Amino acid sequence: MTFAITRMMAPVPVVGNPLPIGGGAEKITIRKLNFYYGDHCALKDINVSLYAKKVMAFIGPSGCGKSTFLRVLNRIYDLYPNQRAEGEVLLDGKNILAADQDLNLLRARVGMVFQKPTPFPMTIYENIAFGVRLYERLSKSELDGQVEQALRRAAIWEEVKDKLNANGLSLSGGQQQRLCIARTIAVKPEVILLDEPCSALDPIATAKIEELIDELKNDYTIVIVTHNMQQAARVSDFTAFMYLGEMIEFNTTTFIFTNPENRRTQDYITGRFG
Amino acid sequence: MMMLYARRRFRNMTMLVLSVGATLAGLGWLVLILWTLVVEGMSGLSLKVFTEMTPPPGSDGGLLNPIVGSLIMTSLAVAVGTPIGIFAGTYMAEYGRYSPLTQVVRFINDILLSAPSIIVGLFIYEVMVAPMGHFSAYAGAVALAVIVIPVVVRTTEDMLLLVPKELREAATALGMPRLYVIRRVSYRAAKAGILTGILLAIARISGETAPILFTALNNQFFSADLNAPMASLPAVIFQFALSPYKDWQKLAWTGALIITLAVLALSIIARMLAASRKTS
Amino acid sequence: MTEHTIRAFDADLQALARMISEMGGLAEKQVIDAIRSLDRLDVAMARRIIADDAKINGIQHEIEEKVILTIARRQPMAADLREIVAALRISNDLERIGDLAKNIAKRVSVLDNDIQLRQVMRGVEHMADLALVALKNVLDSYIRRDVEKAVAVWRGDEEIDAVNNSLLRELLTYMIEDPRNIGICIHLMFCIKNIERMGDHATNIAENVYHMVEGKMLPDDRPKGDLTSLISAPIETKRKSP
Repeated sequence: MTFAITRMMAPVPVVGNPLPIGGGAEKITIRKLNFYYGDHCALKDINVSLYAKKVMAFIGPSGCGKSTFLRVLNRIYDLYPNQRAEGEVLLDGKNILAADQDLNLLRARVGMVFQKPTPFPMTIYENIAFGVRLYERLSKSELDGQVEQALRRAAIWEEVKDKLNANGLSLSGGQQQRLCIARTIAVKPEVILLDEPCSALDPIATAKIEELIDELKNDYTIVIVTHNMQQAARVSDFTAFMYLGEMIEFNTTTFIFTNPENRRTQDYITGRFG
Repeated sequence: MMMLYARRRFRNMTMLVLSVGATLAGLGWLVLILWTLVVEGMSGLSLKVFTEMTPPPGSDGGLLNPIVGSLIMTSLAVAVGTPIGIFAGTYMAEYGRYSPLTQVVRFINDILLSAPSIIVGLFIYEVMVAPMGHFSAYAGAVALAVIVIPVVVRTTEDMLLLVPKELREAATALGMPRLYVIRRVSYRAAKAGILTGILLAIARISGETAPILFTALNNQFFSADLNAPMASLPAVIFQFALSPYKDWQKLAWTGALIITLAVLALSIIARMLAASRKTS
Repeated sequence: MTEHTIRAFDADLQALARMISEMGGLAEKQVIDAIRSLDRLDVAMARRIIADDAKINGIQHEIEEKVILTIARRQPMAADLREIVAALRISNDLERIGDLAKNIAKRVSVLDNDIQLRQVMRGVEHMADLALVALKNVLDSYIRRDVEKAVAVWRGDEEIDAVNNSLLRELLTYMIEDPRNIGICIHLMFCIKNIERMGDHATNIAENVYHMVEGKMLPDDRPKGDLTSLISAPIETKRKSP
């Protein structure tokens, strides 16, 4: 019986506890990122790696900086004065915050889909062809092929193939959003940023977009900001919880939604916040 | 409680009666003006008005030279003023949205927008007519252009500012250069609004008299020479209406009716464009 | 832990915990009564135990429904989700414990008073006490979220297994001594096995409590003392090399 007693004294070995992170190749590495709106510091010392061909979800209460974070990744914030980022955002090892970064080329590599569907005031066909023409010189038939391919990938081809010349604004909200995704894909980006892409959509349209995200992650690195925690749990491989401009916790989605390490993460995802 | 409610109802009724009364009073004058214009103007309206020159007192004639003059000067003014206005508006809403220069330009533009047109006339008289030594259609067109510019600047800026920033961001996020974003997306979204602004500017200048009197003056005869004085409807109406001759007065009424109808048509087109902007 | 923003969710979780406690209390009582009826060969009591098992099953159904409804309505996450799943699984273990008590009670009517049997009963009671302490402690650990207590129960099962071994050996001797004992001994053997199973369910509950609180699993290789599968008729036991 002595052996049993020594066993009883031994510490409990723990299994089934995935060690944080380790998600393959790093597509974007962020080091000591700080972001300011004028004097207001909206992002505080963010350090995180985004993995290639994975879905990274960013959750957190309104105003926590998750959308701001997304807007740094394609430097769309550059459109506005008094907004600046400090630190390093390495896309394939190259710092995109550097002054010599060509913004148009960056945005062609890092596409973005917004909260509100934003089809351009032109035909469905033109909405897609427009972006393609910016970077490729194609014959009419090649262009047709590209447009069709993009619409197919965004799972909207069947719905619009007979009305490619209709105004993009004539589509329903969910269709408009998929059109916007198609438009983004058509430019052949490497990273797709989704800023609450489903917040204006009904559950069916939302499901279609989520299915699409699942499909797209085979080819793209996807970063999604969402208010909907269940959505983050459904679509993402990794989840980050942000609060008051800080990255509180970043880990595999499995881990974050079953056993988060941080108390604030736990409170937020279980609905115990403030 | 019922007392309170009854008092509130009474106050509501009083307010309603006052509002409706004021609206009717305002509209009444407008109807009266239009009615007089139609009654007085219609009787003189005939084909001759569009085919014959302004007559000397006591003889038959039409309004061909002032109509053509108005058309020429208005077209010139629009041709000159619109591009300047659109470019300035574009700078203010797009490139220089946050620059201090835009604030200054907007302030000055607003002053210009509300400046009495006679001041514009005086100004052009000083800088063009006086140095050239004579009145000319050029000076008239420039004076009108000076009136067109602030209207177009204002509407262009306003309409571009109305383009949702999401649309601009979406276009930019595709990697589109700034010029493309403005030309292919912003202008397209603001097109109807900007066109409306231009039409309203045309409507405004087609009735302006004061700047014309100081610049293009008037001309009894048909003239396509831009370097010479030129007739225009407002100037002719002004001259004929003040004259003691019955037939001149009649032609003045007819001219006024023509301007009014033209302006009305432009307004309707502008409204239709504005409506189509909302639905598209 | 702080309260949920939606307070009805807290009420749901509290209701579940209350049902588990109630069910645990009932299961405990059933086991105590079963052992008592076995000891006194009280057939009336045994019948009541068999009838009361339905109560435990009823609560289990309630818990299952409540769990499904709560998951559907609240989309629980993290600690909440683990708590709810733990409730579901613990209710399952408690239901099984109830069944095992019922099974013991069923055997009461076929046993008769026997001197030797009385001696074995002391051992059975001792073993049952161990199982009951484990059950009580593990229910405490559930209510108080006391991980240490849960781990102690999880480890303590070894002792129940050891008693189980010796009791089975004892029964074997009786059977070899006098084959007429075999019938009774087999029934007792099943009773003992049932108590041993109760201990196993208590350890299952301990594992669930641990996972509920810590978010981690206890390892699979729990220290085991149940060597009965290695006992053969000529009484000699082989120890697993550690």
